Amino acid sequence: MSDDFLNVLRRDPPAEFARRLKSRLHALDAPAAEHRAPARAWRWLATAASVVALAFAFTLPAVRSAAEAFLDYFRVVNFAGVAFDPQRMAQLWSSASIDLPTLIGGQVDVNELRLPPPPVAYSTLDEAGVAAGLRLRTPAWVPPGFALTSIEVTGAHGLSVTGNTEKLHTVLDALGITDVSVPAALDGQVVTIEIPPVTRLVYDDGSHQISLTQARSPVITFPAGVDLASLAEIGLRLLGLERAEAYRFAQSIDWRSTLLVPVPATAATFHQVEIQSGTGLVIETGGQAREGLGGRGGSLVLWSNGDTVYALGGPGRATDTLQMAQSVQ
Amino acid sequence: MALETDLPVHFMSQATAAAPDWDAVYAEQLPRVYNFFRYRLRDEALAEDLTATTFEKAWRARARYRRDLAGFATWLLAIARNVAVDHIRARREHAPLEEAEHVSTPGTPEEDNTRLSDAERLRALLARLPERDRELIALKYGSGATNRAIAKLTGLSESNVGTIVHRVVQELRRDW
Repeated sequence: MSDDFLNVLRRDPPAEFARRLKSRLHALDAPAAEHRAPARAWRWLATAASVVALAFAFTLPAVRSAAEAFLDYFRVVNFAGVAFDPQRMAQLWSSASIDLPTLIGGQVDVNELRLPPPPVAYSTLDEAGVAAGLRLRTPAWVPPGFALTSIEVTGAHGLSVTGNTEKLHTVLDALGITDVSVPAALDGQVVTIEIPPVTRLVYDDGSHQISLTQARSPVITFPAGVDLASLAEIGLRLLGLERAEAYRFAQSIDWRSTLLVPVPATAATFHQVEIQSGTGLVIETGGQAREGLGGRGGSLVLWSNGDTVYALGGPGRATDTLQMAQSVQ
Repeated sequence: MALETDLPVHFMSQATAAAPDWDAVYAEQLPRVYNFFRYRLRDEALAEDLTATTFEKAWRARARYRRDLAGFATWLLAIARNVAVDHIRARREHAPLEEAEHVSTPGTPEEDNTRLSDAERLRALLARLPERDRELIALKYGSGATNRAIAKLTGLSESNVGTIVHRVVQELRRDW
């Protein structure tokens, strides 16, 4: 007996139903063109890495002729998380007797600023890989129901800044942070941040999105001999960490290869994982943290492999995201 | 009727040029999604409702679907699958009601009698299957998905899909 009996339920959709549905879909066209705003938690997760890189860079007081110095480099090899209290940080910054954003804006000397160009969509991985100058990797496993729906490449961007210790002292004084030492030898030094093209693959199940971002490691160039631990300690204090904690943390990290990701203690948890022969970072909003974010949770995995850094995040639990990350090849 | 081989016709010629012909895609995919629900659930009116829900979700999200358009049919079925799961879950959480049967079949009375009878018999057999098996049959025979596409949708391996479907079909054939 053939399998024909299994086809007896098949029907063409009623014509009237098909016509009504088609009309209804066309009536939805206006909302369809809108892009969904990412969830609050997810927006934070997605920008955490870039924020910390830029925040770190802006804390670098530099003013000396870069041409006279030997250059040193920072490349992302590992990720580390640091919990901070957003309320404490807000209190710290609100305690300033002056308008800090204006003050900081006036203190940072931006030599060159190349803003990220609008992302360009590609139809194939090969085309995007060529545009990004990268052999794109994809996950061998995705959660059931998800499919690759878009590929975007954002071109290279970056900036170059200089500052001076006097101005940094002004900012710290305004915040009431008087017990840190700003290395005087940093005056006049130039710091550049180069961010290579960034590729973003989006997997979609119609309701949720998972995003895999990959790019060659950002490179921060700074004069040799810069005491990165001292500068990192300043950055940690600006996040609201206590002096002893900031000092201990700053001394325990290899700042030439580790990207520090500040994680709001009230919104997310994090832990390090071994992933693809390196150390990665898993950040998850959930439980109480999920409630604190209006029920919108998610997870993010950050890791590097060779000279490429990856960020994979979505609305699911960390176990799923990590399984997907481990399958990237 | 392989989802991943005949769908892209409307896309591939336009993937690098203008936007896809969504009306053509709609006409091509509507029967697949509709029949998926006919096999998945017993209520014919519900099949229309959930088909509409599926297309509305996909239609809203289609602006994001910029590439891998050959996989669009699979993506659409993934949405349909989630819609079905949500419905079944909600139905379980509320007082379960016996699903009504509304079978309308155009054709001659003799054809209708035979077809109606066969349809009812198949519905009854499908209703006795475990959820997973019924879903696989709905994907395979309702929507016409390939084993590979079903594997992508369900997380099962392709060979596992083939094995399970073969076993279920044998059971159905035995009871037919």
